[in-house]
Amino acid sequence: MIAFEMPLVYQIGIAVAFIAIIIAFSAILREKDDIHKLIIIDLIEITGLVVVALIATDLAEALILPGLVVGVAEIMAVSELWLAKEKLQQKHSAKKFDIEVMKTAPPIIGLLLAAYGIFLTGFSGGLIAALGLMIFFLGKNMGEHFAKIENAAGYAWALWVIAFFIFMLFPSQWFLAIMLAAVGIMLKVMAKMSLVGTMRGGE
Amino acid sequence: MFEQILIRMPFGDIVHYLSGYTVVLFAFAAMFVILAVISLPEKPVDIVFGTDGYYTKEVPVDLMKFQRFMAIACGIATIGAITTGDIFNFTLFAAFIGVLNIGIVAAVKNKQVLDAAFSYGLVVMMATVPLFAGAAIIAATCGTLSIWELATAAEATAGISVPIVAKLLLLVGVLGEGMAPFYIGKAEITRAPGAPYILMIHVSSLLLFLRVVEILLTV
Repeated sequence: MIAFEMPLVYQIGIAVAFIAIIIAFSAILREKDDIHKLIIIDLIEITGLVVVALIATDLAEALILPGLVVGVAEIMAVSELWLAKEKLQQKHSAKKFDIEVMKTAPPIIGLLLAAYGIFLTGFSGGLIAALGLMIFFLGKNMGEHFAKIENAAGYAWALWVIAFFIFMLFPSQWFLAIMLAAVGIMLKVMAKMSLVGTMRGGE
Repeated sequence: MFEQILIRMPFGDIVHYLSGYTVVLFAFAAMFVILAVISLPEKPVDIVFGTDGYYTKEVPVDLMKFQRFMAIACGIATIGAITTGDIFNFTLFAAFIGVLNIGIVAAVKNKQVLDAAFSYGLVVMMATVPLFAGAAIIAATCGTLSIWELATAAEATAGISVPIVAKLLLLVGVLGEGMAPFYIGKAEITRAPGAPYILMIHVSSLLLFLRVVEILLTV
């Protein structure tokens, strides 16, 4: 549809990316240990995302996010499989570290990241706020108020649906709808991401 | 191949379509989804060696539910890969089929089966590199990922065609994602409990190959 000359930077970049891919694939040929293979393959996927990122347009962003999600889903599935294969699945929850800095530092870092995430809003804001909450929860013990986070996720979902309805029915109020959707997805991403890793082996 | 378009459903410049060729694939996939919904797993029969005794292996309910869910999801992803008119959606569906195939195989807790599923998982993860790279190169050179647009642009005098390297990368990626039947043969998983759901692995990879051939001939 749109024809344009690719700039030289793209061609150089893609050559570099292909060299990285070749290096990564030759590494996987030499590696024999299963878990190391898994880690190297994750690196290989990153090189694939570099090729996508080289497009350097909004389209690239739209392609990178699903690519990243697919990569995460695959590495989670295969690492679960590896745990089952090696019979390493934990039957009881792990013991927590009991050191002073794990009690004092996480609330401060968590608060800073959550505040910055709320300021950003949207998908990236949700990720940053979630990072703050994850640090907070990982530093403390498991028995936190997950019900409240789930509640917040429910309200976020409602905000999102309301935003969609505003887009459909009152297109002139698009700015309000965008703001609602941005806050909604921020809360949603934050809630879901902060549950990752903290629910594990808890209840 | 574009002459016999039966159904087209445009979403912007992304046109979902069924041609005379893909409608057959669609019917095949839909049939196997229905089979996965209604069929029950068979009980594998083991003969006690040296005697005339035999016993049937029970398939645990949770394993059956998990495999059935994965098989149905895999069938729906296959239908998605067949009907989509967008190369990037196609690569996503292909990657999705790969993950679901791992799930179907890995449900069986047997050392050989898990080993085979793990090596298949590694191949699937590697295959996403050429898959997404191919789609990205097509987007970068042609400015669109819609199969419809790409096909009409190739016919027009504009002369922008999909680079051969992107086509090859796409093909290599799909080959990696659809490798599952080879690993299943290696683990003899067809003798493991839950066998009918494993058919979905064969069906999805076969249909994925057939569809990518159509895409590569069209764009």
